[in-house]
Amino acid sequence: MYYLGLDIGSLSCDAVLLDEEANTVAWTVVPTGARNLESIARARAIVLSDAGVDSKEIAAVVATGYGRARVEDKLAAVTEITCHARGITHQLPGTELLVDIGGQDSKAILLDGAGKVAEFTMNDKCAAGTGRFLEAMARALEVDLETLSNLDVEATGDLTLSSMCTVFAESEVVSLIAEGTPRAEIARGLNRAIAARTQSLVKRVERNPKGRRIAMSGGVARNPGVVRALAEAIGSEITLPDHPDTIGALGAALIARDRMNRQPG
Amino acid sequence: MMLQYFEGLTQGLEAKLTAGGSKYVARKRYALEVARLGVKLFHPDTRVAWCGIAVPFDLLNAMDVTSCYVEFVGAMLASTGGVEPMLEVAEQRGYSTDACSYHRSVLGAAIQGLMPEPDFLVGTSAPCAGGLAVIENLAKHFHKPLHVIHIPPHRGPEAVRYLAEQYRATADFVAEHSRRPLDLDAVRAALERTNQLRELMVEINRLAAHTPTPARRKDMINLGIVMALFYGTEGGLEVARAYRDELTGILESRPADSPRESVRLMWLQNRIQFKHPLLDFLYDDLGAAVVADELNDIPWQPLDPDDPFVGMAERALSIPLVGKVEWRIERLRVIAREYQVDGAINPTQWGCRQGSGARGLISDALRSEGVPVLNLEVDCIDPRSFAEGQLKTRLEAFVEMLSN
Repeated sequence: MYYLGLDIGSLSCDAVLLDEEANTVAWTVVPTGARNLESIARARAIVLSDAGVDSKEIAAVVATGYGRARVEDKLAAVTEITCHARGITHQLPGTELLVDIGGQDSKAILLDGAGKVAEFTMNDKCAAGTGRFLEAMARALEVDLETLSNLDVEATGDLTLSSMCTVFAESEVVSLIAEGTPRAEIARGLNRAIAARTQSLVKRVERNPKGRRIAMSGGVARNPGVVRALAEAIGSEITLPDHPDTIGALGAALIARDRMNRQPG
Repeated sequence: MMLQYFEGLTQGLEAKLTAGGSKYVARKRYALEVARLGVKLFHPDTRVAWCGIAVPFDLLNAMDVTSCYVEFVGAMLASTGGVEPMLEVAEQRGYSTDACSYHRSVLGAAIQGLMPEPDFLVGTSAPCAGGLAVIENLAKHFHKPLHVIHIPPHRGPEAVRYLAEQYRATADFVAEHSRRPLDLDAVRAALERTNQLRELMVEINRLAAHTPTPARRKDMINLGIVMALFYGTEGGLEVARAYRDELTGILESRPADSPRESVRLMWLQNRIQFKHPLLDFLYDDLGAAVVADELNDIPWQPLDPDDPFVGMAERALSIPLVGKVEWRIERLRVIAREYQVDGAINPTQWGCRQGSGARGLISDALRSEGVPVLNLEVDCIDPRSFAEGQLKTRLEAFVEMLSN
């Protein structure tokens, strides 16, 4: 039998399919779009097809992400916080602190050593510094997200953005472009601003993160510029799992497996 | 219009209580007393004072002045669903949306003519400067005299004497502007009722702390903080007796081995005052229960009716929201132990510097007691910024964490 984890986020819908031994047999990331039910169905169909598995062979589905309630045949809906903690501990055992930045949420999760959440905090009031923020900044810089993620490599300055409000930051980026500031410097400034904001989230759960075993998950973990800036800000190396945007779905699939194996008979 | 509304509400509640048929009457009795207060506030023959939270309401009740702290109005407007136009009016007059919405809504209501005109106002420097500022604004708006009480941020005999003298001056101010002399026998009788109310509230809290709590999910909301308005009154005593009897009855009639709640929570400071689904979500979907409310705590000792101003000063200075955060933390530790809570929810009100400033210290202190804290950034009055999905995710993750 197989276990399916679905993470329905604001930007992407991720699926991970595990076998009985908790090996990942298929995974996918598809855009969520405006119709998340269709995205859920598409993600599910892709992993089943890639693994050559029939839907009847799925023993349990656990859903997470903001759209978790929309999954109809789930065994349970579990929050992203719990799922990311479970997923990262499976892939990077010994992780003490996880930073997850997704489409509209940033989270810092302190782990207890056994994959359980000891404490967590999330961004409040606005989504500055998340995937949506980076999308808007990439638009302003007229580059795609992948280009943006490595644009800072050539930067040498210490520019930082004064505003983290997406609208004001976009205006600031446009002004910097108009002033002739190289895009590499602007990208570095953006990354530093995101890192400063994320660092304060991290320090709310762990005042001295330096030297802790820190990992990062979520779609923004695929942006090396942000990861570098955050590691610099925290003063600690940040380890990335394979496919960081699927860690929530992986955790959901693992929880599905855990719960089925715990059930009597 | 408002007078008719409160008269209708009073009649409806009186009819329901007279008809009987329900074993749960305490909250209705509480609502009736609030409705009666509304009638008095809007009645043309009543002497009315708008006040700060740390005003001794038993003194004003003894002097036949109907009084109310302004934050109560904000809570009422939010709970009845009518707060948004008030906030918009205040904002149109230039009040920053970063200012506390309890205060913005009251200013909006005053500008809209929905607040009864006071005879005078009594402000207090604690627990927050914003509360005093709104009282000053109202005094200017209504062109009425204002008396300000400075609550010292420290404790001890000097602070008590200093505040007691000010309360004596407050009584003189009230006597002058209500044109009724201070009757010390009436004050003494009021303080005796206050002491009875205190005993009952302590008993209610002791009953509510049982596992599982006998208190129904919404019955204890705002109880302690609103009861301050009824200090020294027979109406307040009747409400408290109804609560005590109801909780006692529930405890006596339920099986002795009733299971403990899977997750017991303490709510810090303000409840969210407008209608929202979070509480039902906590109970019904997550299996958690809010069993303790910081604002229901009664930390003060009985007052000496023969030394009323000193007693009132001692009471005000023992309120944990006045003075050092350390004092508040001490009480929170006591409540957490008494109620055997697994975690605490701290919804720091937007624009509340006191709540926001204390957040880190409270989290650290309760965590060291083994009580994790979920900090939420919430506007308890303004529903326009309510992020239901975001808040549900945080609550759900918190309960998952505690359950693990």
